[in-house]
Amino acid sequence: MRYIEWFVLFCLGACGTALANFIGYGVSFMDSIPGLLVLLVISMIAVALVKLLPLKLPIVAYCSIIGLLVASPISPVRDFVIQVASNINFTAPFTMVGAFAGLAISDQLKTFIKQGWKILIVGIFVMTGTFLGSCIWDQLLLTVAGAI
Amino acid sequence: MAKKQEVYQYASLKDRFRVEWKIFALAYVFILIADNIGQIKIPVGKGMFILFPIFYAIILGVLSGPQVLKIVENKHVKAASKLVVVGICPFIAKLGITAGANIDVILDAGPALLLHGFGNLLGPLLALPIAILLGMKRESVGACHSINREYHMALVNNIYGPDSAEARGSLSIYIVGGMVGTIYFGLMASVIGMTGLFHPQALGMASGVGAGIMMASASASLCAIYPEWADTISTLASVGETMAGITGIYITMFLAIPMTDKLYKILEPKLSKFALKSKNEEETQV
Repeated sequence: MRYIEWFVLFCLGACGTALANFIGYGVSFMDSIPGLLVLLVISMIAVALVKLLPLKLPIVAYCSIIGLLVASPISPVRDFVIQVASNINFTAPFTMVGAFAGLAISDQLKTFIKQGWKILIVGIFVMTGTFLGSCIWDQLLLTVAGAI
Repeated sequence: MAKKQEVYQYASLKDRFRVEWKIFALAYVFILIADNIGQIKIPVGKGMFILFPIFYAIILGVLSGPQVLKIVENKHVKAASKLVVVGICPFIAKLGITAGANIDVILDAGPALLLHGFGNLLGPLLALPIAILLGMKRESVGACHSINREYHMALVNNIYGPDSAEARGSLSIYIVGGMVGTIYFGLMASVIGMTGLFHPQALGMASGVGAGIMMASASASLCAIYPEWADTISTLASVGETMAGITGIYITMFLAIPMTDKLYKILEPKLSKFALKSKNEEETQV
């Protein structure tokens, strides 16, 4: 996608987040705007890095790392970023993701139903095992590391 | 260095908008509906299931699709799957900021984070025997080796070939994960969180299983259960997810797939005599 496409799509997405933030959490549009702008800038930098760097990392990895850096103690804008981002409730951008994700899988509904209950059971076991395994393993790691 | 020219999907922004305006319009409507309903807490025993607006948005999305209400067409479905990443970028950036603000939590966890991705391997160990008992053959290797998101599926296709039984199994679980994964991860995290067996920090980190939307759903549930740990949970979920994203591809390639394959060869002869006999092969067809 071109930069301008990413930019416009992010802006439209930000409107959705502002809407969810207002309806779900009562944060006014004016209060959401600075935080949304910060998220927009981080996302755009991530887009540019994916295009420019030869390193093959997914775009979300860049978003996460840039977000972490600008809010970390080494960042000159740390306090501002943390303060404005705190107005955006953490689950507010999430409803829109759900809307896209739901539409994106809507053509697989029949296949899903046709696959039957066996695949569903296997899927449930894979997901449960993956999460439970992570819980057990991470609990162990954090205990060994002395963090908990 | 010769850089590969990016192929643009649309001739111009205007062209893109001509197709995608409908998706955004629908998304805004879903937000209006879903966030008005808000979180619903259903008490279960001592704890609770928490339903989030994203669950209703997913269901509304599926219902609007070409196979039910036909509000959108197939071209919209294709476009929407590209938009998921547009929606998720600012969300992950927000989690990154939370992580940066709580950097001491990350430094405390330190080396534990580097090794975090290996916990996922319990998935195949638990699911493969079940799949074999349900009468699945080689497709169980693809189905059980991981939660089967895009990059897992790409690896399976690469190793066994796109026409293989393994690739078919992988695609099946990919579809199951898309349909129920987000909702299931939210509910499962509430249940496992409420057992009290695990520390909130471990639960938060464990949410980063290598699928952004599932991580988000699990950590949202956990934050609702442990509000006093909310920042720590989202911080570790976000960093855990980033780590899982980076190490996940190698763990899948060098450990998860070979291990599941080997385990299949050991278990299949022993378990297949107890397996359910399928009348026909339809459940394995995609």
